[in-house]
Amino acid sequence: MPTSSAKVFIVDDDQAVRNSLRLLFKTVNIDAITFESGDAFLHEYDGDWQGCVVLDIRMPGTSGLEVQKILQERGNNLPVIFITGHGDVPMAVEAMQRGAFDFVQKPFRDQELVDRVSQALNQNQEMQEAALYRRQVRNCYAELTPREKEVMECVVKGQANKVIAMDLDVSQRTVEIHRARVMEKMRARSLADLVRMALALGE
Amino acid sequence: MSDNSIQPDSINGAIQIDSVLDAMIESMIVIDASGRIERVNKATENMFGYRPDELIGKPIGILMAGADKARHSSYLDRYKQTGVRRIIGIGREVQAQRKDGSSFPAHIAVGEVRAEDATRFVGLVRDLTDQRQTEEEALRRREEMVNVSRLSMMGEMAAAMAHELNQPLTAIANYAAASIRLLEQGTEEGLADVKAALQEINEQAHRAGDVIQRTRGFTKSADGTRKVTRIHEVAELIRSLATLDTRANNIQMNWEIPADLPPIVVDSVQIQQIILNLVRNAVDAMENTEPEKRQISVTAKLTAPHEIRVEVCDRGPGVSDSCANDIFNAFYTTKASGMGMGLAICRTIARAHGGQLGFRNNESSRGGATFFFTIPTQVNS
Repeated sequence: MPTSSAKVFIVDDDQAVRNSLRLLFKTVNIDAITFESGDAFLHEYDGDWQGCVVLDIRMPGTSGLEVQKILQERGNNLPVIFITGHGDVPMAVEAMQRGAFDFVQKPFRDQELVDRVSQALNQNQEMQEAALYRRQVRNCYAELTPREKEVMECVVKGQANKVIAMDLDVSQRTVEIHRARVMEKMRARSLADLVRMALALGE
Repeated sequence: MSDNSIQPDSINGAIQIDSVLDAMIESMIVIDASGRIERVNKATENMFGYRPDELIGKPIGILMAGADKARHSSYLDRYKQTGVRRIIGIGREVQAQRKDGSSFPAHIAVGEVRAEDATRFVGLVRDLTDQRQTEEEALRRREEMVNVSRLSMMGEMAAAMAHELNQPLTAIANYAAASIRLLEQGTEEGLADVKAALQEINEQAHRAGDVIQRTRGFTKSADGTRKVTRIHEVAELIRSLATLDTRANNIQMNWEIPADLPPIVVDSVQIQQIILNLVRNAVDAMENTEPEKRQISVTAKLTAPHEIRVEVCDRGPGVSDSCANDIFNAFYTTKASGMGMGLAICRTIARAHGGQLGFRNNESSRGGATFFFTIPTQVNS
């Protein structure tokens, strides 16, 4: 289940559609905040928001596609699910090409939208967690000395201590000490953990 | 007089005159000063189905139908008393009646023959049935064309209409689905939500119904009946359909039709057709216009003592000089999917109402074009 701070942000110019969606999400315990236009949403928008956006593709003023573009320019990665009408398929295709999470065509099955939104919330949560993990790993890595970084690089390549000692021209005992310090500073529980961290650093 | 000219003597005899009169296609009837038939030609027999002996001595009214029967003798009386000509020497269209009681439209021209013994009148009757049929056929064709054009316009608007119907349908589906979930959860608080949702469902179902109702009013076949009405009432009925099109295309609509303009006598649906057609053209014209300039104004004002002018102003590229002369022609179009009938039909409708349809390009600072049509206001007479 998504974290409690995750919400679905509904942007639709039609009040009845907005209110009915909010009630629908309430029945599946997903908090929804509604906006009557793309401009109202962008005005209130805060970079820390988590969750997903349900965006009507056809609205007066700033259109759904434009909202998506502006969000991307602001470096936001909230997944966007477009609600499209009968003849909007070309626009929906464009939205998908620009990285929309998905689109549903009006009128849609409630389960279809609820499923898509749940998936989008999960994806967003995973991305948030991954981003947090990367931040933590980077912070830890920054604490390593240059020599420890060298040792870590060799360790995650799978080199034995003996080989590392020869490569770095130090004693095997010294490698062992550096290696222990790396594991401690990186808060790695195992070699596999450390390899995962190295991969996260490369991202 | 030269030798080879026709001598009066050669057609002087009664037989020759009869044969000339009988060769005429028009019916010729001679009546005396009191309106009694004295003589008829062959064409009269064919046209009315009476033998000559059935007509001689009978009042002329026998050959007229309905109101014209009585009116006819009064024309004669009045002419005799006052010299005012209602039919003598002028010609008039009347309903004539055959022996079998059927009637037909006819044109009658009456001339006065003053002789020594008495004054007589000679009537020439022409059967207008064929001409009328041709005219009615042309009128019917025009009405059909107007109707077809309106229906095809609605077809083009199907996408916008589907969008408009989808809003309430989507809301209804959401409310119903949420209600089912709430009832399954069976909480006290949920029941209150279900009740509110059902009220909304009711509301939205009516909203969908209204969309269909408005469309039906516009798609029903116009019968050409004109009624006294006011332009803002006529326009209001098409406003929602027109707005549907502008909203779907992200265009701002300014609608300024005053309620205090004088009454007009029009076929409302046809006038709505002009307005919707002009709005749709304006929408198409702004396909590539920047979002902030996308505006259409629909306005109406009194431009002459007896003339209302309705204008539809867009901010598209305007009408290029090269097509300015052709845009009102049938089958001329600048659109990829257009039939080229819209403006031609709008002009036909405007003219049939005694008005005009035209356009001008706006001043360059504003851009776009303004299409307008005029309708005469009702003149009390």
